[in-house]
Amino acid sequence: MSRLVFAALLAASPAAAHYGMIIPSDPMLSQEEGRSVDLTVSFSHPFEEDGMVLERPEAFTVTHDGETSDLLGDLTEATVMGEPGYTMTHDLERPGTHVFAMTPVPYWEPAEDAFIQHFTKTYVSAYGDDEGWDAELGLRTEIVPLTKPFGLWAGNVFQGVVHLEGEPVPFAEVEVEFYNEGQQAAAPSELMITQTIKADGNGVFTYAAPAPGWWGFAALNTAPETMDKVGAAKAVELGAVIWVRFEEWAAQ
Amino acid sequence: MIRIALAALLSLALAAPALAHRVNVFASVEDGGTVLVEARFSTGRVPVAGEVRVEDASGTLLATYELDEDGTARFPLDREAAAGGLSITVRTDDDHEGYWLLTPADLGGGS
Repeated sequence: MSRLVFAALLAASPAAAHYGMIIPSDPMLSQEEGRSVDLTVSFSHPFEEDGMVLERPEAFTVTHDGETSDLLGDLTEATVMGEPGYTMTHDLERPGTHVFAMTPVPYWEPAEDAFIQHFTKTYVSAYGDDEGWDAELGLRTEIVPLTKPFGLWAGNVFQGVVHLEGEPVPFAEVEVEFYNEGQQAAAPSELMITQTIKADGNGVFTYAAPAPGWWGFAALNTAPETMDKVGAAKAVELGAVIWVRFEEWAAQ
Repeated sequence: MIRIALAALLSLALAAPALAHRVNVFASVEDGGTVLVEARFSTGRVPVAGEVRVEDASGTLLATYELDEDGTARFPLDREAAAGGLSITVRTDDDHEGYWLLTPADLGGGS
C-alpha cells in the first residue's frame, strides 16, 4: 500500500528540471522566410512537456547591436504545455543577432523549499547575418556562448561560460535537457531526462547534442541573499538558461 | 505570389554559393522616400567598392548605382516602379554578390 502511494507520488512529480523557455519559430530567419519571428515563452519541464504557471515576467527584452529594447508589453497570454505562458510576434527590423531575454519573477518551489529564478535567453539570427552571436547581456546570471548558439549540426558541441554577477563561475553545475516536442524521444532512465555536467575551473562547459532540436542549458547557482516566505528566510536558486537549436545533418 | 516572382527572378543570385566570404545585403526605406542599401561581408567588414543593381518585380533593370566607401548606397524610391517590389543586388569589385528583396510590404504597402 505504502509502496503504491509512493509510486503515485513519484508519478505526480516529474523527474525533470524546471526551465524558463523562450522558443522562437526560427533561430535563423532568412529574408525569404519573412520579417518576424514568433516566440513561445513558458516555464516548463521540457523533456516531459509538462507545463507550469509562468507569471508575467519582471522583464522581457531584445538586444540587438548593443541596444536593448523592452518587449514586456508585447507578451500575449497563451496556454503553453497546458499552463499559462505567453506568445509574441516580433519584427526583426535589421540583420544580425537578436537576443531575447526574460527575467521571471522568483517562483516558489515547495518541493525544493526554495525560490527559483531562471534568467532565460535565446539568440536569433536575421537575414544571413550572425553579427552579435556572442553578445553578453549583463544579466545577473548568464551563459555567455563560446559556440555560435545557432547554426549547429546535431552532434556538434556547444560551449558556454557560466557567469554570475558578471564573473565566471568555476565548476558551475549545468543541467541539460531536450525540448521533447511531441514526445519524440524516450529516456531509458530518469537520470537521462535531465543530464548534468560541470564547467571547468574557468566556468566553461561543453556538451555535444546527440539529436536535432532545441536543447536547454541551465547553470544553477544559489543567490547570496534569501527571500522571505511567510516569515522564514528561503534560499533563491538563480538559473542562467540558454536555448540552442541543433539542426539535422542534411546529407544529399 | 509577388514574393515568388521576386524569388524566381533571383534564381541566378540564389544559385551563387554562400561562401565563407559572403556579402550580406540589406535595404530599407528611410523617411518614406529614400532606399538605403547596406552591404557587409560575413567577416563584418564592409566592401569599399561595388555595383548596386535595382530591378523591378518583372526583372527589368531600373538603375545601377555605385557603392560608397562605407558599403552603402542611397537612391530615391520610385513608388510606381517599385509597386511590385524591388530586387537589389550588390556585386563587389572582387566579385562577391548578395541581394535583398524589398517586398511591397517592406515598402509600406507600396502606396
